[in-house]
Amino acid sequence: MENKINLTINGKEVTGRPGMTILEVARDNGIDIPTLCYIQDLPPIGACRLCVVEVEGSRTLVGSCHTPVAEGMAIQTHSPKVIATRKVLVELMLASHPDACLICDKANICELRRIAADLEIGLPRFRTRKHYFPVEDENTDMVRDMSKCVQCRRCVIACKSKGDEPLFGMAYRGFDSKVIHGYDQPLGSEACEDCDACIDICPSGALRKPRRAGEERAAKALIIKG
Amino acid sequence: MPQKRVVLKNCEVIDPKRIDSHLESGGFKALSKARGEMTPEQITNEVKASGLRGRGGAGFPCGIKWDGARTAPGANKYVICNADEGEVGTFKDRYILEKDPFTLIEGILIAGQAIGAKQGYIYLRAEYHYLLDHLQSAIDQAKQKGFLNGFSLEIREGVGAYICGEESALMDSIEGKRGEARYRPPFPTTSGLWGQPTIINNVETLMNIPPIILNGADWFSQMGTERSKGTKVFSVSGDVARPGVYEIVLGSPLRELVEELAMAKDVKMVQIGGATGRILPYDKLDTPLAFEAVLGAGAVTVYNESRDVIDIVHRTMEFLAEESCGKCTPCRQGTEVMAEVLDKFHKGEGSLKELQNLEALSSAMMLSSLCGLGQAAPNAVMDSLQYFRNDYESRVAK
Repeated sequence: MENKINLTINGKEVTGRPGMTILEVARDNGIDIPTLCYIQDLPPIGACRLCVVEVEGSRTLVGSCHTPVAEGMAIQTHSPKVIATRKVLVELMLASHPDACLICDKANICELRRIAADLEIGLPRFRTRKHYFPVEDENTDMVRDMSKCVQCRRCVIACKSKGDEPLFGMAYRGFDSKVIHGYDQPLGSEACEDCDACIDICPSGALRKPRRAGEERAAKALIIKG
Repeated sequence: MPQKRVVLKNCEVIDPKRIDSHLESGGFKALSKARGEMTPEQITNEVKASGLRGRGGAGFPCGIKWDGARTAPGANKYVICNADEGEVGTFKDRYILEKDPFTLIEGILIAGQAIGAKQGYIYLRAEYHYLLDHLQSAIDQAKQKGFLNGFSLEIREGVGAYICGEESALMDSIEGKRGEARYRPPFPTTSGLWGQPTIINNVETLMNIPPIILNGADWFSQMGTERSKGTKVFSVSGDVARPGVYEIVLGSPLRELVEELAMAKDVKMVQIGGATGRILPYDKLDTPLAFEAVLGAGAVTVYNESRDVIDIVHRTMEFLAEESCGKCTPCRQGTEVMAEVLDKFHKGEGSLKELQNLEALSSAMMLSSLCGLGQAAPNAVMDSLQYFRNDYESRVAK
């Protein structure tokens, strides 16, 4: 049996293997599709929708991180329709995000900010109420500021701290939905085991290490365009 | 044209408390035929040939769905009857559940026979809790008569989430999880409930099955239009003299339902399909009710000249923002933005810029949302902008 799947991405003929997603094939071919919730080697989440692409014959755009490739697919990853949609999505995230980049610990390594810059987004067109949650800073290994959370859910699936019982879960609905700890209790001093799995992959300033005075930043600054 | 009762033919005729009264009027004959004379393939072919499409709003061809689950590999297959009738303004399934639970059970059993399922669920809306005993009694009576024949049919109750009427969220809810839309593929026919092949059909869809099996696909496909076969049950409410449940042949004009049957006067607009449905102004009242034009799950809410369009659209959007599951960005954030913008227009504080932004936002939501809720949430806004733009422009802050 032929084990290759032939498709085109942006007019270029490419091949994938059965079970690969559009995103995986695109990245193998050097095409950059932005993602905020996808994490390599973990099951796709499909929540942020930034990875949407145009597939010929499909009524809507499809999420590339969870859609497997199929023979003969014709995909556009950066068509005007796709770009316009991604812009709206990022602007929607920014609309309820605190305007705190100036003093945010993650400002220079923030994925949300980088993607906004890549898409040449300035002030968002939309206005909504902002989330306000008190900063949870009792834990010695993690500071949690849910006002800055973009609800990508990476931390929910990445958490290894308690095996079967992950540290985080989802609660509430719609705009009020929130990544919670326990029954929506602040992260206490003994909650987690210092593996940093969630902190490393948080795309915004919602999760970070407590910074001690005089300590250097661990990560390299991202290049901020525009 | 008067009503044509196919789905509702037993309603108000039989005693819904006694299975014997149902048997006297020919009940469970289709099940005997399906089990005795037909192979699963013949059953799905008959349903395919009838042209029956899902009555829950999306209109997916029922036979194709069944065939997908029938041929999918899987040790345990499931049939789910979606009785989470949560769409704003629908009450037709409630009427069916009250008046004719036996035909529904028969439809579920035939579906189970067709795909090779041994387990079925009826997912009952939380607000229909008062029907639980009634429905359970109907299942018990069918079991006593030996109709279940090894098939296990259970009722699962929702807890009041609109999103759990969406098929993937509904399955999450049955599995005991938080009800949220799943991405597709995989589709339920190959990986549904507990990862097994599953078909999930609306109450009304399953009600159509026994008559199709009994009378044949040709009889069924004579009714309706080219791509919309059979009849449809509508829940008509709002500014009408005779609100209620009406069944008419698909393709009939909206005017017939609204003005002739429900006797509405001074109609300003009609919302078809509930909160995520379409809005049509009075001069579009001759639009046929069919999948080709406008249909939804059968909610028809009529508004007369005294109603304020912005008020209606605003309240619709507040509802959707409240009921969004919150998983995907466009629906979670977009419905909130829309509700807030519409609130401004409602207070006369809108701006033209925001109208343009609403259009860009609507397009992104329709294109990128995970499920039907987010994809269809902007419908009321887009339709009212098309037909009642003046109402918006007159609310722009001076």
